[in-house]
Amino acid sequence: MRRTLSLNITAALAAAAFAASTAFGFAPRPAAAATVIKIGIDLPVSGADASIGIPTQNGALLAIEEANAKHVLGAGTTLQAYALDDAVQGKHDPAQGAQNVKTFIADPSVLAMIGPFNSNVAVAEIPLTNDAGLVQIAASTTNDALTRPPNAAKLRSTHPETNAFFRVCTVDSRQGAAGAQFARKLGFKRAFIVDDNETYGKGLADVFDAQFKALGGAVVDHEHITSNQQDFKALLTKARSMTPDVVFYGGTTSTGGGVVRKQMADVGLKGVAYMGGDGIGDDEFLKVAGTMANGTYYSIAAPEATRLPTAGAFVAAYKKRFNAEVGPYSANAYAAAEIEIAAIAKAMKADGGKVPTRAQVLKNVAATNDFETPIGKIGFDKYGDTTSPILSLYEVKGEKKVFVNQISLKTS
Amino acid sequence: MRRSLRVAAIFLAVALIPVVDQNGAHINFLTDAGAFVLLALGLNIVVGFAGLLDLGYAAFFAIGSYTFAMLASPQFGIHVPFWVMLFVASGVAAIFGILLGAPTLRLRGDYLAIVTLGFGEIVPQTFLNLSQWTNGPNGIGTLDQPVFFGLRFGFNPVPYFYLILALIALAIWLADNLRASRLGRAWMAIREDELAAAHMGINTTAAKLAAFALGASFSGLAGVAYASKLQLVSPDQFQFNVSVFVLSMLVLGGMGNIGGVVLGSIVLSSVDRFILPQLTNFVHGFGLNWDFTNARFLLYGVILVSMMLLRPEGLLPSRQRAAELHADRADPAVAAQEQELYERAI
Amino acid sequence: MDLFLQQLVNGLSLGGIYALIALGYTMVYGIIELVNFAHGDVYTLGSFFSLAVLGFIGIQGELHGAPLVGVVALTLVCAMLFCGLAGVAIERFAYRPLRNAPRLALLITAIGVSFILENLMQFWRGPSPVPFPSFFPDASIMLGGVLIEAKQVIVVFLAIVMMAALQIFVYNTKLGKAMRATAQDREAAQLMGINVNTTIALTFLIGSALAGAAGFVSGVYYGTTWFFNGFSAGLKAFTAAVLGGIGNLAGAMLGGFLIGLIEAFTTQFISDQWSNVVVFSVLVLVLVFRPSGLLGESLPNKV
Repeated sequence: MRRTLSLNITAALAAAAFAASTAFGFAPRPAAAATVIKIGIDLPVSGADASIGIPTQNGALLAIEEANAKHVLGAGTTLQAYALDDAVQGKHDPAQGAQNVKTFIADPSVLAMIGPFNSNVAVAEIPLTNDAGLVQIAASTTNDALTRPPNAAKLRSTHPETNAFFRVCTVDSRQGAAGAQFARKLGFKRAFIVDDNETYGKGLADVFDAQFKALGGAVVDHEHITSNQQDFKALLTKARSMTPDVVFYGGTTSTGGGVVRKQMADVGLKGVAYMGGDGIGDDEFLKVAGTMANGTYYSIAAPEATRLPTAGAFVAAYKKRFNAEVGPYSANAYAAAEIEIAAIAKAMKADGGKVPTRAQVLKNVAATNDFETPIGKIGFDKYGDTTSPILSLYEVKGEKKVFVNQISLKTS
Repeated sequence: MRRSLRVAAIFLAVALIPVVDQNGAHINFLTDAGAFVLLALGLNIVVGFAGLLDLGYAAFFAIGSYTFAMLASPQFGIHVPFWVMLFVASGVAAIFGILLGAPTLRLRGDYLAIVTLGFGEIVPQTFLNLSQWTNGPNGIGTLDQPVFFGLRFGFNPVPYFYLILALIALAIWLADNLRASRLGRAWMAIREDELAAAHMGINTTAAKLAAFALGASFSGLAGVAYASKLQLVSPDQFQFNVSVFVLSMLVLGGMGNIGGVVLGSIVLSSVDRFILPQLTNFVHGFGLNWDFTNARFLLYGVILVSMMLLRPEGLLPSRQRAAELHADRADPAVAAQEQELYERAI
Repeated sequence: MDLFLQQLVNGLSLGGIYALIALGYTMVYGIIELVNFAHGDVYTLGSFFSLAVLGFIGIQGELHGAPLVGVVALTLVCAMLFCGLAGVAIERFAYRPLRNAPRLALLITAIGVSFILENLMQFWRGPSPVPFPSFFPDASIMLGGVLIEAKQVIVVFLAIVMMAALQIFVYNTKLGKAMRATAQDREAAQLMGINVNTTIALTFLIGSALAGAAGFVSGVYYGTTWFFNGFSAGLKAFTAAVLGGIGNLAGAMLGGFLIGLIEAFTTQFISDQWSNVVVFSVLVLVLVFRPSGLLGESLPNKV
């Protein structure tokens, strides 16, 4: 008796769970006559990555809202953002990213997608979008292997001749190289490199390592920290014994970038400079490192939004809509969305107002050239990388980010 | 007999899902959930049957997955056929089950749990650190996909769905037979009172090692199937939260009861990957900025604590376990259960 | 040589924090034979409570002399008090109902409590590291070629003082005697008129208070705190307790310092990325080859 009761209860629970989830899964139905075209957005918007993921998502959302307001796709068609979170338990998760992409692919009204944020999630997603022919533009995944041979081909096994993955940001080999150049220009000769042993952090650090040496600098040591590490004193003491004049951190603030910097003061490395990539370019870093944030240099794989004349309108619109400052990749995401929207519009026009196919949208995105966006003119090369990648270099002075220089690494 | 028919009917119904529901994302979710059902079944052998609290089960999942990744991918240029890898990986995982279980043999429950937790930390960190072989944080990608009589699996989740369904069927069959076998009864005895069991002539060492080995072998199977589908194996897939996730499935569903374990697994997978994100989206539609996905661990914690306080035997308990966990109340039904098992074994 | 000594100092400071946490582990294990999985999170809770108190006082910049002592004393006492109460609450609501249940149930509940605490702290202060106000002076002295921070001295000093105080309490007071009796044989203690429930609650109070102290001290020492710190620190502190001999107070302190040293030297001489693996391997080795620890007596298996 008891057993049947508990069996019934659990069966009911399971049924309710599935029913609820399918009910929630139904998107709100649009007005009867309008056609809906969706753009999928896959970014980490919860947990530790949220502070950088949410502003990025907002950038894309803004572009979509503006396009709808201007009826870019014609009166009867609305664009809808289909935003999903790929963070699981507070951290970006490749399996969740793959699940989200599968959700996009399964929905026929999704014609394009933006994301992911992190390079290791992209590794899980690129084979899927390649297989389905769904165009994917990322705002911030900087790992070279995603588009550059020889590794890139491995991710495109179904359609090796087609590329569905593009990015509007530059690659780590450029970021690391620019960082190394910057470091040498600032006069640093001995670098102690620390990375968080994650895809982005280690990738960036490895490039910096190689480039710094190639430019005549000395790398005294290259260490990897453990996740969840709180005590860096032993590590930094080891660093001090090697007398570096700069400590390079490959990784993000959430994996320890700020804490490492803060503890440098305690072991006698107060006067030594600190350098990193876009992972420590967020406000969290300034908060965590406090006064020690001064003397930090970092790069962002995006142009300084406030400097570009084309960016002024974007920044103002963003502030008005979201009541917050732009994030380091908001403009990139906005540009990515603009490119996709334009591709969809072009395909519709060419086809007499019909809803385009994914292949058509993909073709148009691939052909993007000299497209005007808040981050400058964007075009894609045959690998899917932007033809005019811009890097911005910053220094932290007076506990504020100060723009130092912009490097434009234009390729033919 | 009736039970087998019921189980067969359920399998048939599940097997028809891809025919009825063409949504690739749903099938993908079910396939991923299925891999976790396999993991839960494996952990059930260690925790549910033998009563050995293993807090580092993700380590075996890692070992199974990495074995597959190293022997069936461009990483070293070795390409052992997928179907052979199922055996190889589960075998390797089983061996490590014995290796990692051996140090715990003389330890009592809580120490054993902590040591397994320690291994759960050591194994993924080691895979991360040995980057010359494992590519460190980037993991190993573009793994071999199975080919079934000429049909390449590709990126369509449907063939993987059936593969995992078949593996689950195999696992359930194995687990059920193990439970009713002499080994299963030895586990039950050890679980209730190890000292008495040893004095009754049971080789507790062999039985415990067998539990670890068999439990680990299931995770080897799951590792191969899951890795092949995701096409990526990286260290951050095997952290402590995975071990706890699987343990929570057991606690929720009912340790020791195979049906309960499967149910608990599916319910938690649904909650984790489907319901919580959907709930968040739903709420966002009303303009509320709540994020339920951040409350995952809170939810698991509450599940663990409340289940232990209110219903430690789980939602679908095995009567045996229920009796053990409520030892202060005598239950004549236990005697009936014992009789049934005894008769089945004859 | 200087480098070796410097890492020695680093290791001892880190070890001091582990020692404080380990004391709580060993006390609780001694009395109810439970590995209180949530203890590491009570440690983190201590740093969060300290943060709250410091925020409430409204610290600006560095402090010296009397205000410094006052702030430290106040925050320390508050952190210890709040954590002590938290520990008592956890015991009362999560562990006491299961006192006669199989060990498995208790352990799983402890894990559940640990998660709940971690998640609550994540909601409280967010998922990223949170900075501590830098009110403690950055004073340090150079002994030979070795830099010793005032903060490091405080950590080690506090650990030793706490252990000494605890030792006195447990061996020289009536309540302490009650604790020892309950640890030895709960039923006999009850028969002798000891209120076992109160004694156990007291144990949790003291153990958690020590974890709270460790939390405060770590916040000052590292300058940051993070909701997930307790997981790793708790596990390593447990290793320390086991290494020193579970149930043995001096052992917990010894174990704490040893683990701190092991971590520091592994980072220096091998690599930071292997330090966790080494520490956890120590755990396994100790439990396999000498489960009674360094200072514990070899207890025969109770028949």
